[in-house]
Amino acid sequence: MKSIKNHVMFILPLLAILLGIESFMVFGRVTASYGENLKEAYTILVVTRKPMDTQTFHQIDPHIERAVPVERAAIVDQITEGMTNVTTQEILEVLPRFYTLHLNRYLDSAGVEAIKKHLIRHPDVRRVETFGRAHNANYNLYMLIRTALWAFVGFMIFSSLFLVLKQMEIWQLEHKERMLVMEILGASGMLRSGVLFRIALTDALVAAVATIGLFAFLRYYWAVHSKIDLLIQKRALLFEYQDIAVLLGVSVVIILVSVVFVAHNLKEVRDA
Amino acid sequence: MPNVITADHMTLAYNNGAQEIIRSTSFRIKKGEFVFITGPSGSGKSTLLKSLYGQIIPKEGDLVVGGLDMVHVSKKNLQRLRTHMGIIFQDYKLINEWTVAKNIVLPLIIAGFNIDMQQTQAQRLLKHVKLEGKGDLYPLQLSGGEQQRVGVARALSKTPFLILADEPTGNLDEYSSSVIWDLMENACEQLETTIVVVTHRIPTIFNIPYRHFIIENGGVHEVH
Repeated sequence: MKSIKNHVMFILPLLAILLGIESFMVFGRVTASYGENLKEAYTILVVTRKPMDTQTFHQIDPHIERAVPVERAAIVDQITEGMTNVTTQEILEVLPRFYTLHLNRYLDSAGVEAIKKHLIRHPDVRRVETFGRAHNANYNLYMLIRTALWAFVGFMIFSSLFLVLKQMEIWQLEHKERMLVMEILGASGMLRSGVLFRIALTDALVAAVATIGLFAFLRYYWAVHSKIDLLIQKRALLFEYQDIAVLLGVSVVIILVSVVFVAHNLKEVRDA
Repeated sequence: MPNVITADHMTLAYNNGAQEIIRSTSFRIKKGEFVFITGPSGSGKSTLLKSLYGQIIPKEGDLVVGGLDMVHVSKKNLQRLRTHMGIIFQDYKLINEWTVAKNIVLPLIIAGFNIDMQQTQAQRLLKHVKLEGKGDLYPLQLSGGEQQRVGVARALSKTPFLILADEPTGNLDEYSSSVIWDLMENACEQLETTIVVVTHRIPTIFNIPYRHFIIENGGVHEVH
């Protein structure tokens, strides 16, 4: 009974740490996907005197990934509608070129301003419109989500680590006698810590498998049956196969650090 | 017979040398000798024993055990030396989560012996200390006398060149004590193991020759 309680007392904080890390990875993917959508939706409108291509824009600022010319004929058709004595060709000759620029990532307002400055400096660029207000609102929301996520996961991991350390102290008391006897009889540090390591490894595997199971369930069952289109479309974000390696890796690192901590604190002191 | 333990003007102290327990003492113990160390409580008997397995480093002088200089011994060499010793404690120091058989073969586990060797040796020693059929029990299911027999069996399991015992019968009744002394006499006589025992009282019936040291006022004196 006592042994089961000890396992549970170690598995629970470890589970909390792994859930925190997996949540961080899931939310990280969700915010990255949200950032990607924002980036795709966001464009800068540029008016130029002469025709320009993507490469020229990229040379002006490397954040510019793609330049899409706005169809001028459609604009002219709208302008000339109802006019009789002006030809489309005449208007096209005096009409500047319009481009929508797509960026390679979602930048903050300072980054967008810097691009605007670079563009304005170019002699063929007449005007740049960055739609600053809408961009700032979206960017602030994006950053708020990211910061809230970091704070939540950070708090969760910190408090769980504290619980793991507390459990380590209990282990220390429990295994003190055995480890000291083994040391007096000449056992190496590796052998002394071996039992502790095996116990901790079992607990770490249980915690990692539970976390993997939970998120795999969310992706393959819960999301599929949720009947929420967005969740069904984006369910891949809930769990990826590389998460298994990350969770197993983190749990093994935590138990290694814990065992080394206990073994180090239980080292025999040779009086001199 | 060669010396197993050599102490020359050895001083033992605690608190970084501030509190001297044994002062400038010299003695030699040869292979196959049985030695009792007696003295009043707090005289430094256990301290002296601890120095012999390297838990206390002499403050001054020299101490050589099994050919190793205990003042400058490396951690690795000390570990190796301890695997060739048997140590018996007053409070047995058995691992309560392990079976009796596994406790007995702990020195073999430490030395990396295979399972077959461990099992064979466990059965032989269980018979030797008259605990046949109790190998699968746990220490807390045994009486104090039986637990100490497990301690003796553990000390004998790797046929050590030296056995150090700290009050091995301190917690036992007369019958259990006599069983423990018999086992130790046998080890000394048949295996030529050197045995150093710290005790309050030398048993009244002891069947083999022995040497007797008394610790008084920080000095170790042999009684002839």
